[in-house]
Amino acid sequence: MLPSIYRGIWGAAVHTLRTSTGTPPCRFLSTCEGVPFGLADAESIFALSSGHGRCGVAVVRASGPASATALRCMTGVSRSPPPPRTALLRSIRDPISKEVLDRGLVFWFPGPHSFTGEDSVEFHIHGGPAVITAVLQALGSVPGMRPAEAGEFTRRAFQAGKLDLTEVEGLGDLIHAETEAQRRQALRQMSGELGHLYQDWTHRLKRCLAHVEAFIDFSEDELIEDGVLNQVDRWVCDLQAEMERHLKDERRGERLRSGVQVVIAGATNAGKSSLLNTLCQRPAAIVSPIAGTTRDIVETALDIGGFPVLLSDTAGLRESPDLVEREGVRRARERVEQADLTLVVADCADLPSDAQQAAAFLQEHLRSVLPPQEQPETVFPADRLLLVLNKMDLLPEEQRLELDGELRRVSGFPPVCLISCHTKEGVHDFLTVLHSSVKTLCGDPLSGAPTLTQARHRAHLQQCFSAMAQYQRYRDLDLALAAEGVRLALTSLGRITGRVGAEEILDIIFKDFCIGK
Amino acid sequence: MFFRLISSPPLQRFLSLVSRRASHAARQQYDVIVVGGGHAGTEAAAAAARVGAETLLVSQKIQTIGALSCNPSLGGVGKGQLVREVDALDGLCGRAGDWAGIHFSILNRSKGPAVWGPRAQLDRQRYRTFIQSELLSTPRLTVLEGSVEELLLSETNPEEPGSHRVTGIRLANEGTPISASSVILTTGTFLSGSLFVGQSESPGGRIGDAPSSAGLSHTLRERLGLRVGRLRTGTPPRILKDSVDLSLAHIHPPDSHPTPFSFLNTHTRCKPEEQLPCYLTHTTPGVERVVKESLHLNCHIQQDAKGPRYCPSIESRVVRFPGRQHQVWLEPEGLTSDLLYPQGLSMTMPPDIQLRLIREIPPLHRAEIHTPGYGVQYDFVCPTQLSPALQVKSTQGLFLAGQINGTTGYEEAAAQGLWAGVNAARSALSMPTVALSRTESYIGVLIDDLVSRGVTEPYRMFTSRAEYRTSLRPDNADLRLTLKGFEEVGCVSPLRYQEAVRVRDSLQEAQAALQTLSLSSPKWRKALPDMRMSETKNTLLTGMDVLQYNDVTFEMMSSAFPESLSRHMEFAQRLKIEAVYKPHCDLQKKEIERIQKEENMSLPQDIDYLTLPVSMSQEVREVLDRVRPSTLGAATRLEGMTPAAIVHLLNYVRTAAQRERRTQRHQKEEREREMCAREAS
Repeated sequence: MLPSIYRGIWGAAVHTLRTSTGTPPCRFLSTCEGVPFGLADAESIFALSSGHGRCGVAVVRASGPASATALRCMTGVSRSPPPPRTALLRSIRDPISKEVLDRGLVFWFPGPHSFTGEDSVEFHIHGGPAVITAVLQALGSVPGMRPAEAGEFTRRAFQAGKLDLTEVEGLGDLIHAETEAQRRQALRQMSGELGHLYQDWTHRLKRCLAHVEAFIDFSEDELIEDGVLNQVDRWVCDLQAEMERHLKDERRGERLRSGVQVVIAGATNAGKSSLLNTLCQRPAAIVSPIAGTTRDIVETALDIGGFPVLLSDTAGLRESPDLVEREGVRRARERVEQADLTLVVADCADLPSDAQQAAAFLQEHLRSVLPPQEQPETVFPADRLLLVLNKMDLLPEEQRLELDGELRRVSGFPPVCLISCHTKEGVHDFLTVLHSSVKTLCGDPLSGAPTLTQARHRAHLQQCFSAMAQYQRYRDLDLALAAEGVRLALTSLGRITGRVGAEEILDIIFKDFCIGK
Repeated sequence: MFFRLISSPPLQRFLSLVSRRASHAARQQYDVIVVGGGHAGTEAAAAAARVGAETLLVSQKIQTIGALSCNPSLGGVGKGQLVREVDALDGLCGRAGDWAGIHFSILNRSKGPAVWGPRAQLDRQRYRTFIQSELLSTPRLTVLEGSVEELLLSETNPEEPGSHRVTGIRLANEGTPISASSVILTTGTFLSGSLFVGQSESPGGRIGDAPSSAGLSHTLRERLGLRVGRLRTGTPPRILKDSVDLSLAHIHPPDSHPTPFSFLNTHTRCKPEEQLPCYLTHTTPGVERVVKESLHLNCHIQQDAKGPRYCPSIESRVVRFPGRQHQVWLEPEGLTSDLLYPQGLSMTMPPDIQLRLIREIPPLHRAEIHTPGYGVQYDFVCPTQLSPALQVKSTQGLFLAGQINGTTGYEEAAAQGLWAGVNAARSALSMPTVALSRTESYIGVLIDDLVSRGVTEPYRMFTSRAEYRTSLRPDNADLRLTLKGFEEVGCVSPLRYQEAVRVRDSLQEAQAALQTLSLSSPKWRKALPDMRMSETKNTLLTGMDVLQYNDVTFEMMSSAFPESLSRHMEFAQRLKIEAVYKPHCDLQKKEIERIQKEENMSLPQDIDYLTLPVSMSQEVREVLDRVRPSTLGAATRLEGMTPAAIVHLLNYVRTAAQRERRTQRHQKEEREREMCAREAS
């Protein structure tokens, strides 16, 4: 696939991980309905705009020309547009089944007087995950609507001249944070069963495209075995059948793990498992004075101040000759990379007695735990990191005060909590800090948002599925257009799994075929 | 109907070429000097002269200007698109191909017009003659035989970016300096070139020609500090036709109606019935045995310079894909030539073993070799050091095109040559340089790939490299490029421009006529009884909609509606293609517009990325500093670029532009105040 339809700066800006490209999802939704090319001019987007913790009201926002359609077919607002910027109490229905999904407030913001400058609609609905999922899926089935990419509402606002330069300045950092959150989430998903399935499909589609491209670019001069295309036909058919089954049976897909991912990490024997046990108030993990007791991930679902949290205890990070332990350490590092919040645990007894040296020691320790790509230049990410100094009961009072003072003085340190899992000293304060961190993370609409992610995956898969139909439609008429179908399919899937470049396709061609000039 | 008969190139005028150079050698000052007379050099010189620059082409041997050093063919899949585009910009190679072709075929005929590959076997002699006589009749162009010893360097122009400046060349022996505002190097494989046959190695870029001077190579590397890499390529032995038993090979006839490369030609010089066939045969296990036995005698194959994956020597094919049959094409070298070119048998083993090898192939079992195959290794300049105008970013006045940039193939070289010529001339004539986008042409794809990604092996064009392949078709290259080439670039003659305008207007008119034909499907079925239309709904369909159908041709529609359509019969094929692709191209248009917008946001070349006061990681800074993308669009395509960095960059560029405007305004006000003050006093 090509250096591929570059999405341009914003596309690039918005997709670090799934930097794919390409055609907006709904273009081909219409082809599968049998209308060959009557396609909407501009894409419309929707997203859950409020946070993801437990909340009373959730706000779902849609922008673009299809907003009016969505408003009409989901709320039964009669043909004439409703008064702008006015709250209307309406039953919100599925546009196809007409089933009532929720009853809530609906706002109509006709362009250009809206946040994005386009026609927009807002649904204020009940905050339960089931309702949110249902409304998002319903929006996804409105022709011309697709899930928004991270930062896309802001981008449209920017393009419509609704943001001034000072606001743009902050935008780079915002996008960075968003893509970071997505990267972590994608990593989580990609390591699961679902991830393997998508990777497998991507791999097979790549091969399909490589073989079609080989046939286009080389078959006139080279020995491309007969039946290369027949093989691609079979592959495409198989893929389509598998995708169709997958799309029909939603339970087949692995449930995305929901909640804020909190990971406990640190050196061996610092008391990580004790911390887990302290937090969940039951012995979920085995605790022993022997370094390297925890070798695999121990996971516990917790409720911290009303927010869902998935707490993982990991193996202590150290070089080990033991194969099992080494694997544990690898998994621990992987988990830290996927974490929304990392609790780095250190043993007070390991600290140098001089406060300044202790601070330097801790800084080094933090660096050794964090994955290389998140290594800060100066400041540790305060919102994603908590430093927990365990076994404070082993420190004399004055040293404790001195250390506390020093750590507050040194800039760039994440929040620090001194606790003792043994005496429970400091645990209450720690819980307060943890609660506020989790709360901040839940306010971030991007961390742990499985509903939106699921809706997005579905839309991309649907689009991928439809694009493969283009291959079949043009297979015997025009191979360039047929290849375009496979390419679009790969692009759609690439939005979940990551971009595929032209060189990659050429590599497969040269590996699979004996190509001369 | 526009019609152009190809006039016979005046041979006698060619003969006067050599004498002409003497009278011009006295001249010491040109706008543009082109070094090298291959595909890149000839297109560069002709394009520079068309743009209006006094141009000098320097070649080691005037006789080899326009020579086909390797295969006697032009075009193909992906490459044919390049030839059409070079022609659309009024370049030479399309018309030369039509003049010299002796076997025309459209490759991929069954695979859709977007990937059709116009191709021709050429008569080597005719091709060279055409190119030489074209150059001779090009106003403002002088040809000089000579070897360039070194580049003249001087103080940089402080108003332009760059830390060096090239102001001309010095010839070997004579030592006379010739100065120019722009110099284009198209030295092909001659830059530190080495020839390999068997275990022997000798300096040179092509057999039979003197090696180029080491001074040039030295200047590029040491004085200008350019990064160079090394690549290799090879060519097969040429075989005496009489010694080949062609009855043992499959005959491969040309198209019965040759399709010209050039938009200006309605037919080729070679008549359909005069065309020569090609022959196809295959390697045998014997070939593999000979290769394996002789690997130790083959030093080219043992070197680690990167060779092309898609034009590998028979040695690397056999090593990589053992136990398979490989295709060998036996191609004519010309109407009267007694040689055959065995495509697919590029080899570098000792000549006696080459003979043993080819005789393992049935039709060649008694074949005689005229010239043995050989390998070439040569330096190329890493093309990320170039701007999209193909100018060396660090050096004012220096342009590079062709194999020196790491590409392979005549068409790739011609395309770069043309574009370097255009820009060298524009820059010499104090006009801004111009760039082609990858959204509008294969030439744009080629140059963008080179300058923003670089090469690790010889770069060849494939249709799969062009993401907007369905819009960049060989049939519409004139609409994409000729108009722009005249209106914005200045490299297209008025004659060709007028023709392109006529074609555009007629196509638009015809499409409008089709669009106004709006009937219900039963009525369409009645009008076109041969059509199988499954559409049952009673919706109205336009002529453009119906022409999309697979079994509908414009001819059918024209005979059903002669009054509105028959006068557009000249464009029957183009209209059919337009109708089929239009919906897909419309889809791509939005994407293309967005990309073009970003490409229009140029990044200043003198940004100091390493200290730019915005938040950006060191890694991103280094990438930007190394590649120095010329537009925001190019920056987004860089490996390792982060979204945040792009936003910061965008913001920086915008505020910089505002600052610039503000300073200009202040300066203007200042000047006005001064003027007022002076007047008052």
